[in-house]
Amino acid sequence: MLQFDPVQLPEGTAALRQEVRDFLAANADRTSAPNSDFSSGHDAEFSARLGERGWIGMTWPKAYGGAERSFFERYVVTEELLAAGAPVSAHWIADRQSGPLLLGSGSEDQCARYLPAIVQGRSFFSIGMSEPGTGSDLASVRTAAKRVAGGWRVNGTKLWTTDAHRNHYMIALVRTAPADGNRHAGLSQLIIDLAAPGVTIRPIRNMAGGEDFNEVVFDDVFVADADVVGEPGNGWSQVTSELGYERSGPERFLSAFRVYVEFVRLVGADPERFEAAAVGRIAAHLMTLRRMSMSVAGMLENGKAPNVEAALVKELGNNFEKLLPEIARTAAPLGGDQERFRRTYAETLLLSPSFTLRGGTREILRGVIARGLGLR
Amino acid sequence: MDQVLADAAERIFRDQCTKTTLDAAEDGEFPERLWQLLCENGFQLMAMPDSGAELADLFAVLRVAGRFAVPLPLAEALLANRWLGEEFGGGETNALNTVGLMAENGSSRWLGVPWGRAARRIVGVADDGGVFAGTPVAVNEAVNLAGEPRDQVEVQDVRPLPYAEPAPALLALARVAQSAGALERVLELGIGYAQEREQFGRPIARFQAVQHLLAMVAAEVAAAGRASDAAVAAIGSERFTLEVAAAKSRVGESVGLVAEAVHQVHGAMGFTYEHQLHHFTRRLWAWRDECGSEAHWQALLGRRLCALGADQVWDFLATSS
Ligand SMILES: Cc1cc2nc3c(=O)[nH]c(=O)nc-3n(C[C@H](O)[C@H](O)[C@H](O)COP(=O)(O)OP(=O)(O)OC[C@H]3O[C@@H](n4cnc5c(N)ncnc54)[C@H](O)[C@@H]3O)c2cc1C
Repeated sequence: MLQFDPVQLPEGTAALRQEVRDFLAANADRTSAPNSDFSSGHDAEFSARLGERGWIGMTWPKAYGGAERSFFERYVVTEELLAAGAPVSAHWIADRQSGPLLLGSGSEDQCARYLPAIVQGRSFFSIGMSEPGTGSDLASVRTAAKRVAGGWRVNGTKLWTTDAHRNHYMIALVRTAPADGNRHAGLSQLIIDLAAPGVTIRPIRNMAGGEDFNEVVFDDVFVADADVVGEPGNGWSQVTSELGYERSGPERFLSAFRVYVEFVRLVGADPERFEAAAVGRIAAHLMTLRRMSMSVAGMLENGKAPNVEAALVKELGNNFEKLLPEIARTAAPLGGDQERFRRTYAETLLLSPSFTLRGGTREILRGVIARGLGLR
Repeated sequence: MDQVLADAAERIFRDQCTKTTLDAAEDGEFPERLWQLLCENGFQLMAMPDSGAELADLFAVLRVAGRFAVPLPLAEALLANRWLGEEFGGGETNALNTVGLMAENGSSRWLGVPWGRAARRIVGVADDGGVFAGTPVAVNEAVNLAGEPRDQVEVQDVRPLPYAEPAPALLALARVAQSAGALERVLELGIGYAQEREQFGRPIARFQAVQHLLAMVAAEVAAAGRASDAAVAAIGSERFTLEVAAAKSRVGESVGLVAEAVHQVHGAMGFTYEHQLHHFTRRLWAWRDECGSEAHWQALLGRRLCALGADQVWDFLATSS
């Protein structure tokens, strides 16, 4: 049976929470996004201001500019930013998984070169996993790196790379040796400078009209040995160890949160019974999801690798992110000031197909959970 | 939480709550031996103020009881003794006391009384949460959709009890904890059956469609368990009633999904009376409507949030842990 132990936020987090709220209020001009999707607001200046406050790379060693704070403190900061609809996309991936990956598997030299700028909110990373022929079946990547003097030459295409056209680096999963019967062998993670010669980035317009993800083509791009993360060939185990971080955070159930806020505003202080029930139903989901997500933060804090638990939280959270706009829509009254609600609802609905795809599809997550249950 | 109590209860339930006992109880036979065993171990007193146990322990025991579909009104018996207190004969003998709802305030007709037919004293809960003691004089037998007795009882000697606890929320929390336990058992039954039943030359657990159903079930069961724990942890806090409201809603939503999916996994076998699955799924279906349906509690929670206002909703959510 999977266990989600309660966690108590440590003392001091209430003060931190208030600091973040004050900061958000002072930066209200930049935080008025009508949705709380973590990947739809890219604002380098906002990220730099967060960096100044010490709210990026919070858990990392002081030697690299971090603050050595707990996962719970990071949790508080990230959930406050998301709930407010703040534009966090620029630094999000670097803070959530590229940095922790470098700390866990990278060299000291890599940490020293990359982490301080990430912490300052001035260096942004993208995830280079998917390709035209590679989606859920990640081990099938074809982008390949060939050995040359002092490093590697990379050729191939990455696809759906969020913010590649605005970020500085990609950590790409590439094949550095033939599979030879074991398809998980021979894969490596490389840090690729997105401004390097031979990199071509083409934004892809999504169905909501935004241009956030990209096609990234590598044509003989040189990557120095010093930018291979961990041992060459160790890419698969590294990439799977990122998943606990990637899958369980508040961004996995808060993407539609602003719809809820506007729904409550629309129904007003004295709702009909069915409107009140819709408000309460959504709250009940949120309270439980948040607790489960914090339980996983607790496991990460204790150095565990809660991959199954994280998959379970993402599965529940993503389904809920799709359910929330539907509950609100079907219970929304006709009258009142509809403008804000309709706008937020429409934006979120158009983004919602991505919720159960990005970061591992619902079907893949159910497979992970099923394995955890001993069914496969 | 007192793990020793929960473990002791589990041993008794595991021994006693066989399919035969469950069937007999559904045929109207009070599980006397099980009740006496529990009394010999002092469980009937555990919710009384000076029992030494915490109120949270009661809900831990009820969660275990849910795992075994214990065919007793355990929550009501123990809460009745708590509310009656020594003064009104709570826990005085091993006789069963129970809790029902007043048809309307001040009425002597009490409804939905679990095992009212076997009770010596009954506590009636009024609309406003006030609790009263009464002695049964006439019983109209009725059952819920799990076949658990939910009688209509005429009472006399109605007297107010000096208790200021949120009785409706505590009763709802009892159903939450029982359901969380029953859901865990239903998941286990689903996994077990999928691993053992073979079709097309292999266990049906090998089929992705079955794996995905059970993965979804596991997620719902985990959510229900976490929601239940959170409400139990809120006992005595200002937000207790609101936490129960959230839990009753969240658990109730899991029930529908889980029961549907695990029946699907069991095929026709799970549709037989002979199989034990229905003792759990029917209870779950009954319990989600007892002590306030999801909609009832959602509206209560929702009203509070609407009164706080849109820009305070996040603060409310973020100050629960
Ligand atoms: C908004 C957005 C941003 C993204 N950003 C990035 C990024 O920055 N970097 C990056 O690398 N990738 C990114 N992705 C890609 C994302 O990781 C993939 O979409 C995801 O892994 C699924 O791959 P796919 O889209 O090719 O679908 P496919 O894998 O082709 O799947 C299509 C359908 O088939 C199902 N399916 C596939 N295999 C199985 C199986 N074994 N069993 C059952 N069902 C199966 C899937 O669940 C899905 O329903 C992003 C995607 C989106 C939508």
